[in-house]
Amino acid sequence: MEMRTGGVKRGVADKAVLAALFLALALWGGLPLRRHRHHDIPIVKGPGVTRVFRLSEYSPGLKGTTADTFVFELRGREPGGKALLIANTHSNEPEGMLSAIIFLENAVVEKGTLYIIPVFNNSGSRATRPGDGYPLYFDIATDWGARRFRFGNRDASPLDQWPDPDVYIHYPDRQLLSYIDVRNTNRTWPGRADGPLMERVTFGAMELMRREGIDVAIDIHGAETMFPVTNCIVAPESSVRIATMVAMTVKAMEGFENHVEPSPAGFRGLSHREIGDHGPSLPFLLEAPIPFLDQPTGPKTVEFLLDGKDPFLLSLSAKGKLFVPYDESGWPIEKRVGQHMSVCLEIFRQFSRKSADRPIAVSGVPRYADVAENGVGRYLADPSKAAPGDIVMN
Amino acid sequence: MTTQIIVILAVMIAAYVAAKAAKASVELSIFAAAVAGGLSGAFIEAPPLGELGRHLVEGSFTYIDVILVFFTATLFMTIVNDSGGVDYVVRATLRGLGRTRILALLALMIIVLVPGALTGAGSVSLLVVGAPVALALGRLGVPQKRAAAILFIVAGLSAAAPPVNIWAMILCAGTAIPYVGFEFTLGIPVLLLGTFTVLALGWKNAAGAGPAADLPEPVPGMTWWRVLAPFLVFFGLVAAYRIWPFATPIFGLSLEFALAAVVALVLSPKKIAFLKLASDTVRRLLPLLATMVAVGMLQQIMTATGVRGLVSFAAISTPLVLLFLLFPLVIPFSEGVLTYGAAAILGIPLIWFLDSIGYHATVVMAGLSLLWPLGDGLPPTALIGRLSVMVSGYDGSYKDFLKATWLPWLVITAVAMAMIVFSSKLAFLVKWSM
Repeated sequence: MEMRTGGVKRGVADKAVLAALFLALALWGGLPLRRHRHHDIPIVKGPGVTRVFRLSEYSPGLKGTTADTFVFELRGREPGGKALLIANTHSNEPEGMLSAIIFLENAVVEKGTLYIIPVFNNSGSRATRPGDGYPLYFDIATDWGARRFRFGNRDASPLDQWPDPDVYIHYPDRQLLSYIDVRNTNRTWPGRADGPLMERVTFGAMELMRREGIDVAIDIHGAETMFPVTNCIVAPESSVRIATMVAMTVKAMEGFENHVEPSPAGFRGLSHREIGDHGPSLPFLLEAPIPFLDQPTGPKTVEFLLDGKDPFLLSLSAKGKLFVPYDESGWPIEKRVGQHMSVCLEIFRQFSRKSADRPIAVSGVPRYADVAENGVGRYLADPSKAAPGDIVMN
Repeated sequence: MTTQIIVILAVMIAAYVAAKAAKASVELSIFAAAVAGGLSGAFIEAPPLGELGRHLVEGSFTYIDVILVFFTATLFMTIVNDSGGVDYVVRATLRGLGRTRILALLALMIIVLVPGALTGAGSVSLLVVGAPVALALGRLGVPQKRAAAILFIVAGLSAAAPPVNIWAMILCAGTAIPYVGFEFTLGIPVLLLGTFTVLALGWKNAAGAGPAADLPEPVPGMTWWRVLAPFLVFFGLVAAYRIWPFATPIFGLSLEFALAAVVALVLSPKKIAFLKLASDTVRRLLPLLATMVAVGMLQQIMTATGVRGLVSFAAISTPLVLLFLLFPLVIPFSEGVLTYGAAAILGIPLIWFLDSIGYHATVVMAGLSLLWPLGDGLPPTALIGRLSVMVSGYDGSYKDFLKATWLPWLVITAVAMAMIVFSSKLAFLVKWSM
């Protein structure tokens, strides 16, 4: 009897130890994830920012949700055309967000108006990608220290939008998409006012474009080096002439490739397809190669995220298995951000040439060669030196 | 860096083998491999030691949706079983078709296919309908060893069958390819291979069906309507979203199964102790659910350390012909070691690669997901194989049971490989499904 009691006690003790270990692991692993979700990044309002508002102004269904993101307006000194920059549609492609932040912390709009949404999928930027071993943050070195950013996921957090359907049916075309795409803000265009949360996000952007009469909409991304649609401008029929001119100009004048890919009419839900089909804007989707997202790579470290150097990709490049040139220098963040900066500026210039009555002229922002030479950090403002009213915690 | 990653991989394998040698379960062995990989990765700060806990916890959520579907679907099928629905259908099948052997065999095949097709898990088919179907096969004169072989192969095919194919779902989620176009691409081969299996293994013993007296007595009050109504609710909810997608709320598969389970519970002619049944279901599923959790952790650590990239690199660097020659061995073996994790760790890079050189990703996924279930009969997990032996009551050697599956095994392998190699030519199956 005593032996049995002792055995039971030992069993209870074992379970208590296991439960304590489980709790300790849950706290050790869970708290950083919670902190990541609630970590806000400071964005400094640059000299050109005239107004900051929430996307819910155009999509009331977003109000009070994590998906309600900031929109920055940079109204020009002279009237002209209007452009919208969208970044962090996929929050694991940070070159878009960095480009957008450089624009809104430095740009002065001479003619026209620029709208910038630096963190389009705010929910996704506060989520991680289980199974993929991503870092939670990355730091960009600057002259005054490091500036920290959240590294997020391609899709919105299930904490904000769940459950997923067994298959996602695109609105309004009824095309069947993968269930997970219901949380992907580059599959939910043009969206609905009362649809799933991510459809309300894209609906808000569509409403902004429709009500404000946006001429040019640029959605900034990154894509794997092994993915055929990379290092390019994706454009539908309406934008393809401008995109072609941009590709030719940046190659001739700035020395980097950025070819044009046609937007397939049969693949629905993507910004480069739906924005033009459901609103007044000319859509462009920019892709810069981001080796970090490729499958056959070494460890997923912050260093690799930023410098894009990987021995496996180098070997595969020699075997002709990549869709972009790749050497020992990798694809550093400076090159990726620099390309996006130049391509955006060139789109504005080409649009202004084509529509002389609606010019968009932006000054004060670096181009490809500047960012490649000086680094991204050179163009990021120091939040500690900004007036409190000039900081937006995003 | 490559050498360091190889060392980390070796440490992970050693930890897995050591844990298995110490008689640890598969899920604990996988967990041990993940922890060992994370600790050895910390030497090169990939990941830093301080982040190991976060990676393990984050990885454990990789398959949370699949786990929920798995649980609710099994709960649903268990209620249908406990209410007497399965016995009723098996008995009615033998009564109605027992004298036409071929029809009886085909009907039993369908009965095994349905639960696995709905849940994506062959184990659910075996747990729910395995025993009565084995009994029915016995009544048709099929010896236990062959009955076990039929159950193993058909349960494996049921897991691959649409609408829920977890391997394909994992692959689609990991490659950003829509989980659509599988209905005919998987449905046709599964039905053809299932038919071949039951006829090849069940045809010979033409002893004729005896009376159905040995089957469990049907629960009084059970009717076709009571059996079918919960399934109608489930398919009705699935169909409602497809027909009126912009007016129907999104329930998700888990809630759809849960609602169907409620209907089955309400319509059951006998009282079911729901809490006990639910807790028994969790207990029974625990090894499987824990495996999914541990595989998610392993996948996260493999990616963070670069081991997954190394595996992917090796797959992509292998000459295509050699790769195809290795598939029939490597794919089932990977399932035997990692269960569903094999799809993520090996499958995703393979799909990326084959897609980039012009193979049709959806058809390739369908082909691969016919090969993976074969591995569920291989050690160390051998989950479906062991369950098949258990529910059929076969008490011979496991090796003999596996030998009995050789013919359908070979045919399935041949069909799967044909689908992979000629995927572009079979793209019409995907179009039909859309």
